[in-house]
Amino acid sequence: MKRILLVCSAGMSTSMLVNKMDHAAEEKGLEIEIHAISEYDLNNHLQEVDVLLIAPQIRFLEDKIRKIADPMRIKVDIIDFSSYGMLQGDKILEQALHLIDA
Amino acid sequence: MIDYKFMKKFIEIAGRLGAQRHLVAIRNGFVAIMPLIIAGSLAILLNNFPVFGNFNMVQLLNHIFGDGNWQIVGNSVWNGTFAILGILLSFSIPYYLAKSYELDELSVGLISVASYIMLIPITNDGGFSFAWTGAQGLFVAIFLSIIITELFRILMKNDRLVIRMPEGVPGGVAKSFAALLPALIILILVGLFQTLVTTLTDTSVFELIFILIQEPLQGLGNTLPAAILVAFLNHFLWFFGLHGTNILAGVIEPIYLPPIESNVDLFASGMSAYDVPYIVTKPFFDVFVYMGGAGTSIALIIAVIIVVRQEKKHPYREVSKLAVPAGIFNINEPIIFGIPIVLNPIFFIPFILGPVLLTITSYFALATGLVPKTVAFLPWTMPPFISGYIVTGGSWRGIILQMINLGISVLLYLPFVMAGVRALKIKLENNS
Repeated sequence: MKRILLVCSAGMSTSMLVNKMDHAAEEKGLEIEIHAISEYDLNNHLQEVDVLLIAPQIRFLEDKIRKIADPMRIKVDIIDFSSYGMLQGDKILEQALHLIDA
Repeated sequence: MIDYKFMKKFIEIAGRLGAQRHLVAIRNGFVAIMPLIIAGSLAILLNNFPVFGNFNMVQLLNHIFGDGNWQIVGNSVWNGTFAILGILLSFSIPYYLAKSYELDELSVGLISVASYIMLIPITNDGGFSFAWTGAQGLFVAIFLSIIITELFRILMKNDRLVIRMPEGVPGGVAKSFAALLPALIILILVGLFQTLVTTLTDTSVFELIFILIQEPLQGLGNTLPAAILVAFLNHFLWFFGLHGTNILAGVIEPIYLPPIESNVDLFASGMSAYDVPYIVTKPFFDVFVYMGGAGTSIALIIAVIIVVRQEKKHPYREVSKLAVPAGIFNINEPIIFGIPIVLNPIFFIPFILGPVLLTITSYFALATGLVPKTVAFLPWTMPPFISGYIVTGGSWRGIILQMINLGISVLLYLPFVMAGVRALKIKLENNS
């Protein structure tokens, strides 16, 4: 099973996405675990994560996050602005799956 | 329209500030103790529960349990939370800073608490004053956290100071021995420093830092220009799609948390919410300015609903509908990235000017005594109107100020939403 982690400032706005992405995964018949967390809690949640998606408003933390995630072989990317705004779970799920395959 | 090079540079600088190790540790240290701080504030609020018509809870409970007896519960909660804010931070900040250096965070946190306690002036009867365990000691806690962690880091680099245990000794034991000599050296240094300051200046480290640094900063923070600057910077960052509150927290929280502690403490001791000293506090922004999140974006949602009435499938309307449930709880990323507000020159003015304007109206409403000041610390996710009532210690005037502010903000957004709708239409026509 693949695990996707979404991270934002307080883990609140990304948690809205989790439901939408869960739904999109279900429609595709994929078994994926998706969680949202706050960036300050990030260190405690990186075990067995495949993809880490950063909310755009904290994209300034990308380098810092990559430094932790890269050695753990976690793929990191910043969530697409407009998909994020429109809470398009399917598109963001695609973005994550794309990273896993890459 | 916006210079691309400038934008890149700006985002880079803001990013560096937002990722700066010490500022991040300070912010995380504050985030970690928030649940306790909120619990303490709510306990005080319960002790001074507002009167609803004929229902006076305080009187009723006084009648049942005897005057003030039941309030001991709330006061104790306060004593263990907000009243020891400084001690709590003297652990949580070095904890995160040490973690970022991959040092033993537990050891560093404990050494830092020990150092903090060492520096607290002892009262004549041999005790501590809550003044120094609480918000008045906040800057001592911050400085100490950073200095202790850096000292510890330097000392741990020296192999001769680190006692290594043979293999097979449990990790926890080995760690405590590794930290032994550095801890000893740090504590002796703190003790020497304390002796030096008290004998030379006839005062304490706490009093010095409070009078020289914290008090002037708090005084400055409580002025209108400072409040405007905070509102402006926060929204300027958000306009670039950067989490302004998050980036500025390391600087803002230390300045705007102590004033609310002062207010709540005086309110608890019976002072009216009109008479407490500080106008600009952390909840001041959260409750009266950032309604619906940065940019007073609940007002933006309302403006969109007013402007786009016919077209049910209009993108603005769709985004706004998506944004309502979270917006009620002051979370607004959908609308900020969905409309988008970010880097959209049409919304630059209302998004930044609106909150600045509301900061001014709120400041005057509180300064002139039209509305009570803030006497409760709330989670920033508390929905508007409930928050306005609670934060003012149970005053309808708090809600009225929120409504007026919201009205101003909606009016300001309206023409720009119309312009946005027009621009979008032209863009879509050109594309097709």
